[in-house]
Order: sequence, then C-alpha cells, then structure tokens
Amino acid sequence: MSYVIETVNLSKKYPVLKGYRDILFHPFRKKETPALNNVTIQINEGDIFGLLGPNGAGKTTLIKILCTLVLPSAGSAYVKGYDVTRDEKSIRKLIGYVISEERSFYWRLSGRQNLKFFAKLNNILNREADQRIERLLEFLDLAADAGRMFKDYSTGMRQKLAIARGLLTDPAILFMDEPTNGLDPVSAHNLKLLVKEKLVGEKKKTVIFATHNLRDAEELCNHIAIIQNGEVRIEGTLEDIRSKFNESKRYVMKLRNVEGEVLVKIHNKALVKSMMSVSNGSSGFTEIEFEIGHNNGSLQGFVKEIVDMGGELFSVYEIEPTLEDLFSEIVKAK
Amino acid sequence: MRPVSLIFEKPLAFLWRDIIEDTSYKLSFFMQFVSIFVSTSMFYFFSRLLGDAGISYLKPYGGNYFSFVLIGIAFYSYLSVSIQSLSETIREGQMLGTLEALLVTQTEIPTIIISSSLYSFIWASFKVAVYLLLGGYVFGVNLGNANLIGATIVLMLTIISFGSLGIISASFVMVLKRGDPVNWIFSSVSGLIGGLYYPVSVLPDWLQKLSYLLPVTYALEGMRMAVLKGYSVSELLPNILALTLFSIIMLPLSILVFKYAVRKAKRDGTLTQY
Repeated sequence: MSYVIETVNLSKKYPVLKGYRDILFHPFRKKETPALNNVTIQINEGDIFGLLGPNGAGKTTLIKILCTLVLPSAGSAYVKGYDVTRDEKSIRKLIGYVISEERSFYWRLSGRQNLKFFAKLNNILNREADQRIERLLEFLDLAADAGRMFKDYSTGMRQKLAIARGLLTDPAILFMDEPTNGLDPVSAHNLKLLVKEKLVGEKKKTVIFATHNLRDAEELCNHIAIIQNGEVRIEGTLEDIRSKFNESKRYVMKLRNVEGEVLVKIHNKALVKSMMSVSNGSSGFTEIEFEIGHNNGSLQGFVKEIVDMGGELFSVYEIEPTLEDLFSEIVKAK
Repeated sequence: MRPVSLIFEKPLAFLWRDIIEDTSYKLSFFMQFVSIFVSTSMFYFFSRLLGDAGISYLKPYGGNYFSFVLIGIAFYSYLSVSIQSLSETIREGQMLGTLEALLVTQTEIPTIIISSSLYSFIWASFKVAVYLLLGGYVFGVNLGNANLIGATIVLMLTIISFGSLGIISASFVMVLKRGDPVNWIFSSVSGLIGGLYYPVSVLPDWLQKLSYLLPVTYALEGMRMAVLKGYSVSELLPNILALTLFSIIMLPLSILVFKYAVRKAKRDGTLTQY
C-alpha cells in the first residue's frame, strides 16, 4: 500500500549555538541537540492525522522536514513517493502549509493583496488567481474584510487568511501547525468544523494537524501520533491507542443503600480508584470507579464480591479513557 | 508547462508588493526625496569651499569637485543596492517572519531574492536620475558630453560584479545572520580607497595599488569618464575589461557559495531563524 506520507527512522539533530568558551577551547567539537529520533509514521490519503505532543516535542520539525524547509540528519521521508531531500520542487506543488505565525504576512498589504502575491509565487495566473482568491475568501467568510490591511485583522481573521494561503494551490496535502493557537473557543470550533467537513469531507484532502491541544486532536483526528522528546510514543486511531496503551478497563459501579463498615471494606479494595456518594432525592447512591486489568480479576468476580459484602447493585458501565487520560499516562510512563 | 508570462509576473509581484509597502509609509517616502536634495546641496557648498584646491587631482575628471562627487554618490546608490539588497532581503524575511512563507511556495530561492531587490534597483535608478537632474539643472554640472552607451555598459557590468558580491553577502547572512564581512569590507574599504569622495590619485602609492584590486575603483572611474568626459567604449576598455574579469570569476563562485549556504541553513534548521 502506498502512503501519502511516509517516514522511516527519520531523525534530526540541530547544532547547538556554541558559547565563547567552547569556541575558544573546543572549536571543532560538535554540539547537537536531538529534535527527532527514529520517527516512522505512515499517513493515508484522506486522513486527518494529528501530531500530538507538548511544546518542543518535535512536531514542527517533522512538519518542516516534510515541507522541505529543513533537511533530516538521518532516515528518509516521502511525500506521495517524492523524497524530501531530492524532490523539493515536486513536493512543494503538492502541499499547502498553514503557518500560524502571523508575522508571515505583509502587514501593510490587505488580506486580498497578500493572497494575490502568494498566488503569483505559486504559479497561479492572474484571472485564475482572482477567481480562486474570491472563492477562498467566501469559503472562509473573509470576503467583507479582504480589503482591510492585514495589520487591522483579529487573530481569528489572521488564522483564516493563513488557511486561505495554504489552500491557494488547492493542494492534496495540507499541513497545519497549531492552527487553533490564540483562537477563541467559537473560532477554534469553527476552524475544526471547516477542516473536518469542508477540507476533508468535501474536498478529500489529507490534513496533518499538529497540536498540543488534546481536545482538538480528539475531536478532529482519525489518526494520531503522540510525540514526546522527538520520539513517536504511540500511533494509531484513537481506539488503537486506547487498546494498545490502556490494557486495563475502567468501570463505574453504582450501589444503593451501602453503609458504614461495608463502605470501608470496598474502599480498601485494590481495584478501586475512587468512591463518591451521590444522593438522588430520597435514595442514596455510592459511585465506585474501579479498574480491571488482565491480571487482577474479572468484572463479574468483582461485582459478585461487592454484592456479597452487602451492596445493592444499581448499575455498572464501562468508561472510555479520554485522550487526555492516555496522554498523561504515556508522558508519565516515559 | 509554466507559462512564459510567469517569468515576468513573479518579479512584478515583488515590485508591486514593495511599492505598496513603501508608499504606505508616506512621510518616509517623502523624506527620501528631501535627503537627496540635502546631500546634493551639501556637496555643492563643500565644493565651493574647496574652490580650485586639488584641481590637479581632479583634472582627469574635468577639474570640478562637485561634478566628481555628484557622479560618485549617485552611482554609489547602484553599488550599494547591488551588494546590500540581496542580504537585506534575507535578513528582513528572517526578522519579519515572511521568509518561511516565501520558501514554501513554488518559487526558487534565487528568484525570490533577486526579485525582492528589483524595487531597490528601480528606486536607485530614480535617485540617480534625481541627482543628475539636480546637478545639471540646479547646480550647473555639464552633462552634455556624456557617452550613454559607455555608461550603460559600465553600469551593467558593475551590477553583475557587485551583485555577485551581494550574493556572497546574502550567503553569509543566511548562515551567520549577522556579521556579514563582505558588506562590512565594501562599506568601509570602498569608501576609503575606492575613489568615492576623492580621486584615488590622492592616496599614497601602496593604497593606490590596493584600490585597483577592488572593482569599485574601476566602476566609479569608468562611470565618471563616460558621463563627465564622454569617453568612448574603446577608451573605457581597461575599466570594462577589469569589471568583466571580475564578473566572470565572481558570478559562478557566488552561485556555488549561495547553494552551499542554503544547504547548510536547511541542514542546521536555521533557514528562517534570525
């Protein structure tokens, strides 16, 4: 199967700026800091691929390598089969890069003038450029403000213009680096909707979405790679990640009319993570959250044990861990 | 296949961008005209103070200090644009954050850099025209003998040879960010021994010899002889040959250096850092 993007043992080390002392005493000693270490990922066509990781994890370095702005130190990376170190021109025809850095625009040009300038640099001829720009401005709800200078735009408008610029060439692959940064919740929600429904749903693009925001990744991405310290810690669909990493399952058991001594006994059980009393009108409930793995019993066994202790069972249901739960476990595990 | 019109459209897009940006700073745009008038007037009064002093040194150029220095400062605009605009383009792109957005487009780095300096060249031409008009009509410099063909040949060769130095300067900026030695040597040494404000003949012998290793000396001398004395192309041949030789050596060398610098910056991940 051929992937839209594939990296094999991709590594990147950046040289560290030497101090005067090093220049003087060790002028030829190389000082490097690793940014990516043996990253191997595959991205399929039509994926919204989330690169998830804390700041400094290596997400932007990976995107820059795939966009041909940085050369890898080792390993290989391919975009639609083109090698990032040799086929820069071909790759740049296929990709759009949504740079969230607002300084990447000309502040004293209007939104429309900025797009027109970048359209020319992307080999789009005058009439076609005008048509595409107007379509994109409409699509992103920016048409009314397109004549204003970029410096007068709000953060949300700047982000939208960055997306418009990334889409100018109608690229098959779109890289988005922290696109929801600085956006208010409503704009961030609209942006995610736009990516999911319009760019991927309607236009069938492949989107690589780098973020440190777990909710963004959970809501948007059908495939996720969690990167930490330059290494891919885990990769797959959210379900894959849940099953791969979280081998134990979490449940909530609701008991009615449990009192005193029995509560203390239940609380002392190793499987129990938390207990909470909930009152519902005249009835008193106790909610018990517990976790069962491969080696510490079964759900049926635990329920029977609790019922035998005197608890009146009301309900039991499984709770799926959120990406946030998984992420913090993965990061802690390191 | 790429349409031929795009070859011109890309440089024109850069020119259009720079015109909009520059003219949006209205006071600064206006002040640039005022400064041309101020500097021309200053050198005019300075030449009145000098009178006939140093006339023997100025005789090969027509004997008038104001004419001598006017051609020097006007033409120096081209030299400084050739050498500085390319590196300034990169530095500005790194500082403003626009370089990354430009480099990810379907335009090659040389096209981006050369097109970015187009406005500076046109602006320099405009400044030269204003200098010469002021000199001719307001301060009475005789430009009637000028050999325009000779002047154009010298100008073109100067732009190529200094543009090559500019490409090397841009390579340093791409890798080192600041502390570009080429620009520093040009700004300090050419002003001192290149014959900008005074003829090279006033320098001690050893400095005169040193000055003839620099293309700026041939460029300024060739231009003054063409504009002030109306020298023919054959009379300008020593200057033309020196500038041609310099261009033949420096242009391919500068392209090699630039390619190396881009590769190094991409390897170090510093292409867009400042």
